[in-house]
Amino acid sequence: MLLDRTIRPAASDNIDFEIPEIKSITLDNNIQALFIERHNLPIIRLNLVVQGGSKLDDIDKKGTASLFTMMLDEGAGKYNAMQLSDEFEMLGSNFESSCTDDAIFLSIRSLTENFNKTLELFNTIISSPHLNEEDFEREKRKTLVRILQQKDDPEDIANNVFSLKLFPGNHPYALPTAGLEETVNAISNDDIKNYFLNNFNSDKATIIIVGDINYEEVKRLLNSTVGKWKTNPAAEFTFFDPSEDVDPMIYLIDKPGAMHSDIRIGYLSEKRDETTYFPKLLLNMVLGGQFSSRINLNLRESKGYTYGAFSSFNYYKEAGFFIVSSSVNAINTADSIIEIFNELNKIREGININELNFAKSSLIRRFPSSFETNRQIAASLTRMIMFSLPFNHFNTYIDRIKSITLEDIKSAADYFICPDKCFTVIVGDKNTVIKQLDEKGLSNLIELDYKGNKIF
Amino acid sequence: MNVLDLKYERYKLNNGLEVILYNNKHVPLSAVNIWYKTGSAYERKGKTGLAHLFEHMMFQGSQNVPKEMHFRFIQEAGGSLNGSTSFDRTNFYEKVPSNFLEMVLWLEADRMGFLLPALSQEKLTNQISVVRNERIERYDNQPYGLAWEILLKNLYPEGHPYNWPTIGSLEDIDSYNMEDVTDFYQKYYSPSNASIVIAGDFDIASAKKMVEYYFNDIPNLQNTPEISDFSLNSLTHKVIEHSEDVQLSRIYMAWHTTKIFTEDDVPLEVLADILAGSKSSRLYKELVYDRELAQDISVYQFSGKFAGHFLIAATAKPGVELELIKSEILRLIGVVKKSGITSNELQKSKNSIKSSFIYSMQNVDSLADQLNYYNCFLDEPNSFIADLTRYDILKEEAIQKAAMTYLNDNYIELQILPSKKD
Repeated sequence: MLLDRTIRPAASDNIDFEIPEIKSITLDNNIQALFIERHNLPIIRLNLVVQGGSKLDDIDKKGTASLFTMMLDEGAGKYNAMQLSDEFEMLGSNFESSCTDDAIFLSIRSLTENFNKTLELFNTIISSPHLNEEDFEREKRKTLVRILQQKDDPEDIANNVFSLKLFPGNHPYALPTAGLEETVNAISNDDIKNYFLNNFNSDKATIIIVGDINYEEVKRLLNSTVGKWKTNPAAEFTFFDPSEDVDPMIYLIDKPGAMHSDIRIGYLSEKRDETTYFPKLLLNMVLGGQFSSRINLNLRESKGYTYGAFSSFNYYKEAGFFIVSSSVNAINTADSIIEIFNELNKIREGININELNFAKSSLIRRFPSSFETNRQIAASLTRMIMFSLPFNHFNTYIDRIKSITLEDIKSAADYFICPDKCFTVIVGDKNTVIKQLDEKGLSNLIELDYKGNKIF
Repeated sequence: MNVLDLKYERYKLNNGLEVILYNNKHVPLSAVNIWYKTGSAYERKGKTGLAHLFEHMMFQGSQNVPKEMHFRFIQEAGGSLNGSTSFDRTNFYEKVPSNFLEMVLWLEADRMGFLLPALSQEKLTNQISVVRNERIERYDNQPYGLAWEILLKNLYPEGHPYNWPTIGSLEDIDSYNMEDVTDFYQKYYSPSNASIVIAGDFDIASAKKMVEYYFNDIPNLQNTPEISDFSLNSLTHKVIEHSEDVQLSRIYMAWHTTKIFTEDDVPLEVLADILAGSKSSRLYKELVYDRELAQDISVYQFSGKFAGHFLIAATAKPGVELELIKSEILRLIGVVKKSGITSNELQKSKNSIKSSFIYSMQNVDSLADQLNYYNCFLDEPNSFIADLTRYDILKEEAIQKAAMTYLNDNYIELQILPSKKD
């Protein structure tokens, strides 16, 4: 066969990929457990999702859920914090926890041979954490210092101010999950205990388990541990919709001498809805969802303003927003903002069939690689739970992407890409930035401090 | 069956390219991973960061692949891709659904053999901007972002291959020209200076044919210059103060230690874990947990081809003097030197390292990279068990001895201090 390097090799035969079967188990305490069995390696992962999260915090005590999450492994049952850490390490197992606005996520990972013991420790943590005063004070001081450190990081400042402007009026999603200095200062250990009693509810919990174990064994083990966990029922939570008032300002936070400007451009959008989810996803892949998207190719590969620029539709449980983010060369701050707006306006004119096919192909063919590790699979199932997606979500995934047409993308762009609604946050060197904004006719500038307060 | 025992095939093409094939049919994916045995250690003064810039140029298209299309072709196939540069090597990797393996090999062969015809000043100018921005975003504009550069400069003398960070200095980044890039390619990107791993769900016989087809006629340009080994003079204790616009001061302490896969790199790694790898580790417990002198502390052993170092970094809580943190760190290291460690501490470290070996076997792309890593440093890709055994056989005395041998009074101390406000 004569070698011709000008020809790009086509794909060989189609690959065979079977979506792993999700089994659902209802535990004795009515918690639902989703289970995927895989025996390729002797390891098991378990995730526990407890919905609620920091949006349940009293707004003046934002950070309560996050501190509670940090307190969970600071001692439980017969173990103090050091002993718990030692027990996990001796088993070669990991315990991880995190808190978002919408849920607390806990997970363990262990070798099959140590899963039993790891699960028992995990069960002790969720059912009988100590929540001691002394541990609380220490973790609170640690949180306050971490908040202080955010002042140093332009990305943190940009993200925090963006959120604050996105959700005005004391909205539960406005402040960072970890809280602010003043809200964390207001939290007492009783607030942590109350969160545990009232907001860490077994009736809002789901278990996800993936790995080297069979159905009968999972059922038996879970029922003898987390299947016994029972708490107060969750209280009714009323959520108020964020304000839709448009305020298309440019907010500037001065970071003297910064060589880069961190830029966030965006607006409040709709929460996740399965009828529009895929058109928006494909649209964003063309616009700014990956390396080869328009925004990155323009700002990075054509103009050289940045190391990377990306856009996304983001979803909370109860709200959604659109954002473009980049860290750009200080002297190109205004140019970058103008180029981003150009891209937003341009994509409202629609995309071409090659771009659509590229985005579809990329998503569809990428599908099998999201089932490679236990962590990935557990994360996919966690998303399914968080957004109440149907059980056949993965089975219909590819067909739903295939069905999207150019017209679907055009109407998604018309409806969901809204340059008029955009507000902009810039963290950068004021002297360098203001001059450019003036020259390029970008007005509506408001100067803020790093906490988002107006400077007069 | 031991999950850490990998069956592979290895052979060389006539042009010197080393090929390693490993089947793992768990998911219908294939990973391609190429190591070029060059990195920032192979640069020279005045042109630091060139290896990393060159990594960028490898994504700018080659004779038969237009600019931007390398990324597009892989993403269109549902694959993922990237490259990375370290002191000792540069790697490029893709993971695709297995039916696109041939396209990946075509792409990698085209840039290995036919990059120069597609190079242009325009592409170079653009990537110089991108890399400049990468450096500013990740280093200059990050809190404590310049510490690494200052440490290397003081830890390794001028002329040593580890004297500068892989990103390079801004001044040097601006200075690259077409000749630098062409020259670097001709010196270090020959097939004989590379090894390619294909790992995953593919047919071995047809993969061999494809590799032969796309790579065999890539000419070997010339003999790659090897840099001479560089012996280090012992350090003398040196304190560097650097002021920065940060809230909290931070101390870094760094000692010369040992190269990769030598007798002492593993004892030093385990020592790092015992000092700061978990909540009950010695430095973490004392400094962060019990006394709250530090907000965080991290310790690690870096082992490279030409040298190694042991690094401790701790951020002071507000109002805490770095001198106090330093003296506590030295005191606790002194305890290890005098009284050693407990068997319980050693067992915990061994157990977590053993499980992390097994957890890391899940990704076919990280397996591919690990095969290249072992092949490069040990000339035996299937060294997972042998490597783990190095940890398994450790005795308490080895940890104590490593602390006594290396963690002496001669270290580099960098203090990052909040700049005075007016």
